[in-house]
Amino acid sequence: FNLWAVRAVRAVRVSSIRPAPLLTATPVRTLVDEQTCIKASFLPSNHPVTVCARMRSDEGDLWQSFAHYNSNSRGTFDLNSDLSVGGSYSGCEPMGLFWSMQPAPGERDGLRLRKKCVESPYTVHISLLEGHVSPNQEPVKELAAVTAERWYMAPGVKRQEIRQNGLVGTLFIPPGPGPFPAMLDMWGMGGGLPEYRSSLFASRGYASFCLAYVGHKDLPGPPNTINVGDSYFQAAFQFLQDHSHIAADKVGIVGLSYGCYLTFHTATLAGVKPACLIGINGPVGSSRELLRVNAFSFMTLLSLKHILCILQILMKPLVLMQLEEITCPLMFVVGEDDMSASSIENADLIEETLRAAGKSHLFTRLSYPGAGHLIEPPYSPMSRASFWAVKPKKREMMTLWGGHPAPHAAAQEDAWKKMLEFMELNLRPKLTASVLHVKAKRQ
Amino acid sequence: MSQAVPPLLSVRPSRALVDEKFSVLVENLPPGCPVTIRSLYQSEDKDFWEAYGHYVSNHKGTVSVSEDISLGGTYTGKEAMGLLWSMRPIPGSRKGLRLRKKDTCAPMLVTISVYSGHGDVRDQAPLASALVERWHVAPGVQRIEITEKGVRGTLFLPPGPGPFPAMLDLWGGGGGLQEYRAALLACRGFASLALEYLKSNDTKPKGLDMKYFETAFEIIRSHPQVIPDRVGIIGLCFGTLMTLSLAAECPTIKPRCIVCISNIHSKSNENTIQEFPQEIPEKYNKIHMMEDVVVWRDMGLAVLEVGHPKVKVGNIDCPMLLINGTDDQNWPTVEVASDIIKTMREAGKESLVTRLDYPDAGHLIEPPFSPHFRAANFMLHGTKKKVMMLWGGKTKPHADAQEDSWKKILSFLQLHLYGAPSLKANL
Repeated sequence: FNLWAVRAVRAVRVSSIRPAPLLTATPVRTLVDEQTCIKASFLPSNHPVTVCARMRSDEGDLWQSFAHYNSNSRGTFDLNSDLSVGGSYSGCEPMGLFWSMQPAPGERDGLRLRKKCVESPYTVHISLLEGHVSPNQEPVKELAAVTAERWYMAPGVKRQEIRQNGLVGTLFIPPGPGPFPAMLDMWGMGGGLPEYRSSLFASRGYASFCLAYVGHKDLPGPPNTINVGDSYFQAAFQFLQDHSHIAADKVGIVGLSYGCYLTFHTATLAGVKPACLIGINGPVGSSRELLRVNAFSFMTLLSLKHILCILQILMKPLVLMQLEEITCPLMFVVGEDDMSASSIENADLIEETLRAAGKSHLFTRLSYPGAGHLIEPPYSPMSRASFWAVKPKKREMMTLWGGHPAPHAAAQEDAWKKMLEFMELNLRPKLTASVLHVKAKRQ
Repeated sequence: MSQAVPPLLSVRPSRALVDEKFSVLVENLPPGCPVTIRSLYQSEDKDFWEAYGHYVSNHKGTVSVSEDISLGGTYTGKEAMGLLWSMRPIPGSRKGLRLRKKDTCAPMLVTISVYSGHGDVRDQAPLASALVERWHVAPGVQRIEITEKGVRGTLFLPPGPGPFPAMLDLWGGGGGLQEYRAALLACRGFASLALEYLKSNDTKPKGLDMKYFETAFEIIRSHPQVIPDRVGIIGLCFGTLMTLSLAAECPTIKPRCIVCISNIHSKSNENTIQEFPQEIPEKYNKIHMMEDVVVWRDMGLAVLEVGHPKVKVGNIDCPMLLINGTDDQNWPTVEVASDIIKTMREAGKESLVTRLDYPDAGHLIEPPFSPHFRAANFMLHGTKKKVMMLWGGKTKPHADAQEDSWKKILSFLQLHLYGAPSLKANL
């Protein structure tokens, strides 16, 4: 014991002010389909806190989520391993703050989160609040914050607007020399040109062409009807095959909702030989009747599902013929709580048709209980219902999509992974030793 | 005829902070295929830097840089980040280059490509490539230029309400304003002020006034989002001399802890730290010239031996972290560290010191994954004379030192600036 040691110990002062706890998100810039780990430290031990995430859509609407956690005895918590005990989600959900977001109180009704500009990220402000609170109740004490960016495009992906030969779409090409496998990407009858799935495919190494076919200013004819025919979709497929950066025999097609019908239909057109098909919650039949506004004027919150069921019974013979002609693997994704399309029935129909044609080995069904119609890239918030513009715009109606947040989020995460694996298998065949051996023998 | 689809190269995460690791994966190669994975970066000065490793794919046709072993190139062995830290200027570049980011708000764009074979790949087209962003700032980090009360520097604030602990960041004798370490510290939760105290375009060396540093420290301390008694100082090289002086001899600056990288503690004379970078070389002609490269190490040893005035480190009352490389050719920093510890022991304060000596590391121990340069151009401060200075270090051990020391710096700072150390007697 000496005086100098005592002096040294006394020199380590206790601060009268404590620093704010540390909140981290790693990595802090991710692609939308990647996870980020959210952790906090330097909290008091066994302390109640709220984590709140907020971001603005491209239209300026505020979306938010929150969850209640308790720090452990070391004053830390980790969303990867700890449990939410309340809020927008419960249980152990590493990405819960992202997929459970809903429009903040006071925002417009009937919103759906869809990124218009894929070249800029979503900026998510994640805050740590004192106690188990709702972020909108006053007063809230913010202890710490971190900002995360969620991107729809990886660095080096090129985006090209395509307006040639009558085609209206956007092409995304991965970085590098290529040639790349590719996907033709189609959405539903809401129209427009959602680019965000294609940009993500390109970020995963697949060139992707999202195609507009209805409700787009650059398309011919009135916006409330489909004014393009079979030759349009054939041209779109051909465009990909002819592209210098794309491997002509490695082109697949993916579609959601009405885009799903178009996916199967295009696959049976002359000259179109896709390497694989992915359909999500879509009808396997179509009628011009569907496109007439009048058909919807009775349907306020009535689900489209029932109308389509009736139509399918009428359509059966036509549908069977189309599906029989498919010669490539087909993956069909079903949200079992889909209130907009009769997805389960459609899946059964496809399966039955292919079995009858001796092609069941081509069929893969992914079925998700509790998931709704809009099975989109993972960790995106869902809307059980939203305003869906059926032209003319004045006749906007609230459309019920179905799905419940947690099972729908799980479906999006699982389906995306499996879709990418399916594409990997069919568009990027592995050059195993046995394949090379067979190739060598043939020469 | 089936058109071959080339291999898939992916780097995750594709956007990361510069002190974060990434995984580079190549898939869909033929099995047992020799490939070269190469990184290419064009600096802000328009020079090209590259690194590469030689790999062989496994039976599944994949190469994983994190898991597999590089058999040759600018790095060998299992090195997840070798494609960054082993970078050097491409052949034909100007001599003596050093890689330092000036614009901290824009990312470094690095192209990673895979080529067939183990030969010279520069004329070949790659099989596949990916673009990676390496950032010095996280979203939400604020960059504020400071020009008040005569103080010049850049303050980086972490996102969030705070209050935050803070750091004063002092670079070395090269002068100017280097922001990249302060930016990274802000990403890790520390409000940080990178201070310019040796202007690189001064033709005559200016006296270094303690008042300048006091004012800078006060600016940090009084910032509304900074906790006044949780401010530390980090310095490298000549910055260490300043750090030690401020902690030991300046009554108004009481850092909560200090980090000294590549220690120097010799002053030009008893009372001032003026004109040190120019005066010392003139006084002691033990500078070696090895093939046009200036080596100051032996001069530094001579300075130590003759008992030249040094900072009275015995007055320092806060925890200190000393980081040095044993192959430092610019100054005998390991010997300096030993001398500092000897003085602290005599003052009964050895328990305040944590010492990290890194074998075969050189002088410029920077944030992780930055390239190493054994010698580089250096402008002697206060002159217009540019020399090639030998910094020392062997590339792989130096890279290890950078990676390890950064982790240890962050945990040291977290302990002393975020933690609330109790008054447990260390007796």
